[in-house]
Amino acid sequence: MGNEATDELLELLWILREEGEDRLTEVLQAAEAANAEETLRNMAREGLINLRSDRVILRQEGKKRAEEIVRRHRLAERLLWEVLELEQRYIHPEACRFEHILSPEVTESICTLLGHPHICPHGKPIPRGECCTKFKTEVKPLVVRLIDLEAGEEGTITFIVPRSHSRLDRLLALGITPGSVVKLHQKRPSYVIQVGETELAVDDEIAHDIYVKRGIERKGQ
Amino acid sequence: MHGHGARGGHRFRKGADRAIVLVGNPNVGKSVVFGLLTGQYVTVSNYPGTTVEIAQGTTGFHGSRSVVIDMPGINSLIPMSEDERVTRDILLKERSQVVLQVADAKNLRRALLITLQLAEMELPLILDLNMTDEARSRGISIDSRRLSDILGIEAIPTVATRREGTDRLVKELSNPRVSKYTVKYDRRIEEAVGKIAELLPEQPISRRSLALMLLAGDTSLVPWLKAYLREDIITKIDQIRQAVQAHYPDRLSYVINQQRMEAVDSIMKEVYSVTDKTGTSLAAHLSRWSMHPVGGIPILLGVLYLVYKFVGEFGAGTAVDFLEGVIFGRYLNPWSVRLVEYLVPISIVRDLLVGEYGLITMGLTYAVAIVLPIVGTFFVAFGLLEDSGYLPRLATMVNRLFKIIGLNGKAVLPMVLGLGCDTMATLTTRILETAKERILVTLLLALAIPCSAQLGVVLGMLGTLSLRAALVWAGVVLGVLLAVGFLSSRFIPGRGSDFILELPPIRIPQFSNMLLKTAARIEWYLKEVVPLFLLGTAVLFAFDKLQLLDIIRKAASPVIVGLLGLPIQATEAFLLGFLRRDYGAAGLFMLAKAGQLNPNQTVVSLVTITLFVPCIANFFMIIKERGLKTALGMVGFIFPFAFLVGGLLNIALKYLGVSL
Ligand SMILES: Nc1nc2c(ncn2[C@@H]2O[C@H](COP(=O)(O)OP(=O)(O)O)[C@@H](O)[C@H]2O)c(=O)[nH]1
Ligand SMILES: [Zn+2]
Repeated sequence: MGNEATDELLELLWILREEGEDRLTEVLQAAEAANAEETLRNMAREGLINLRSDRVILRQEGKKRAEEIVRRHRLAERLLWEVLELEQRYIHPEACRFEHILSPEVTESICTLLGHPHICPHGKPIPRGECCTKFKTEVKPLVVRLIDLEAGEEGTITFIVPRSHSRLDRLLALGITPGSVVKLHQKRPSYVIQVGETELAVDDEIAHDIYVKRGIERKGQ
Repeated sequence: MHGHGARGGHRFRKGADRAIVLVGNPNVGKSVVFGLLTGQYVTVSNYPGTTVEIAQGTTGFHGSRSVVIDMPGINSLIPMSEDERVTRDILLKERSQVVLQVADAKNLRRALLITLQLAEMELPLILDLNMTDEARSRGISIDSRRLSDILGIEAIPTVATRREGTDRLVKELSNPRVSKYTVKYDRRIEEAVGKIAELLPEQPISRRSLALMLLAGDTSLVPWLKAYLREDIITKIDQIRQAVQAHYPDRLSYVINQQRMEAVDSIMKEVYSVTDKTGTSLAAHLSRWSMHPVGGIPILLGVLYLVYKFVGEFGAGTAVDFLEGVIFGRYLNPWSVRLVEYLVPISIVRDLLVGEYGLITMGLTYAVAIVLPIVGTFFVAFGLLEDSGYLPRLATMVNRLFKIIGLNGKAVLPMVLGLGCDTMATLTTRILETAKERILVTLLLALAIPCSAQLGVVLGMLGTLSLRAALVWAGVVLGVLLAVGFLSSRFIPGRGSDFILELPPIRIPQFSNMLLKTAARIEWYLKEVVPLFLLGTAVLFAFDKLQLLDIIRKAASPVIVGLLGLPIQATEAFLLGFLRRDYGAAGLFMLAKAGQLNPNQTVVSLVTITLFVPCIANFFMIIKERGLKTALGMVGFIFPFAFLVGGLLNIALKYLGVSL
């Protein structure tokens, strides 16, 4: 395994790439470490990246490693979030530590336990691993989309994909937050859900973006 | 912008010692509480510079007079809608105010999210736990005394509709307390709040709450910021905000609200408990049926039929006949003709008032004797649907259908209202969230939704023809509605809004609340719409006097005769049709009765006139709501398009050799 500074930078490059950013100046600005430039040069020497004029480009080897790191990080986030029910604000820093220590075997078991999730609690895609294609149908996922519940079934919201900030804010003000129990009343002609005593009709898209754990699990009650 | 608010502050407190501001989530019984506090006399006005309506009344007890302000329902004080922004602005600017928060006891969690924000503002606050009857029947109990202790303010259980607990409410209003409860946020947020608060001036609400709003990146505060703070301080605040934001993956507004929600949940744990629910109530069953994918349809049709019976037959028939034929026809108009002839010596002024196109004999008669009974009955029906909780369920039923034309279920409200009066309906497009939706609905209303005045005549004429003729008419109009909606939703820039609609429980509407609402709406109609009808009549009068009508008639006849294949006399009907929609249809009715239109011609002319812009009042309303440019654009599209569709139908019928 490479050192942590390299891992952090690889992870950063991956994230910036998701946002379509590969300019050196931007990378250096986003990097927290002071000696980032030097580390980048080392990485270029190791053949992980190419430094071309103003751009930083991940090479094959670097891309593979970055993908693994990001996968570990985001899976760890899901684990902390869903199983340990850590509050969202603690998730990111904790996951940062996990990404350096998880072995490939443990990573696979976590992925399987969580039902091979596609996105992290912040809505970013989790890179696929080998296990995801192999065991696809064997494990009943712990967490499903709201639309996968049967009409009349209840679930505990684990997270909501933050597709737009204002939507998230609005849902929160209506009491639709992670941890609340939601009941799906019907799917047609529109999704009708209930949280507490609030009944809401919502668009398909919104129902698609809400993930729940089957059954009721009232926090602290 | 800020000027508006400052003026608003004075305007809402003329002469009164203080203001009682009613705040709460939607549908919690605020209007009922407002009615209890103020008695009958209320005024509804728009908040300066906005379309948000605010009801005001006065109340006096213990020798002081207070203005009571009823705000629209809100879900958060970090504004996500204009309603929420106006509420926040009033709280921000109004001095010496008491806030009365009305909460739906069974939805305490959502209410407390607002309570904590009000507590943060350090405003004198009373919490009304309303609808405790509904909460009780759902096995929910709330320890209001404990809640009161935690928050440090009065929390009073009430059933507003039965006046239970309201005496205590009134009593406590004279001695409100400021809550001592504070939400503890993350260290980083708290530090930033401290830093920002130091930069802020003294305000009616606490600096801490303002700092939190600024930290949440509330952009609606920009005008306020600019009015009170120097440029460099604004920049500094923004830097603090960005520095904190960098530590969180989520937007700060969400982080802050989430931490508030955590505080709410810990309060909930102490005061709110649910024992086993007592079965499913009848109302809950009704609710399920009304939205059932299959069973909901006959219910929908049944409701529409009843509304038609009441508005279309009673309102547009019996009531109009009485008002137009008896009250105006026999008494008011002859009297005013005589009075004007006696008082006014100048003939042109006489004509303007009581002539063929007179303001009284045509304009007022139309607005009051024909449209008022229709919209009046419609308001009653609409109020019943609204208060019973059926309307949002109707929107839920049709949401996916409306998605086809780029809208969502919420647009069903103005569309249904359009069947009563398109002019009114155009006004209510304000309830739609985005500009795109408002333009789209305005266009579809003007184009393809016949109003009741016209629908009556159209259905009457189709009734004398075959069922096939009626189906052709309905098919073409509906087809145009869908096609134009589908296409224009792709061309009009902007975006639609999320469909998140709260479904309040099915309830039996309360008579007095309905009365109050209907009265407020009728007042609104008289103030906002009737002047437009008068203006339209004045334009018609001017056209007539300047002999412009003849010129237009001549210019239009090639299209009418050539393209639509109608007799030249039909031009008159089309022309009048724009000025008064039912006149147009009635003109065609006369022609048909005189045997001058064959069935094909009848259908072609009915389709064309249905697609026309309803009436000149509607046109003015479009200008008023959407601006002149948009209005001209719409009219420029609708008239040629209506002729085009009519022409195509004429050609198609001829070519296919169909006779209806
Ligand atoms: N059961 C019950 N219904 C109530 C109570 N207060 C108001 N309502 C009803 O709730 C509905 C909404 O009330 P309204 O005052 O229009 O709510 P607003 O939107 O907050 O102004 C109406 O049908 C009222 O009659 C209450 O205490 N108990
Ligand atoms: Zn997997």
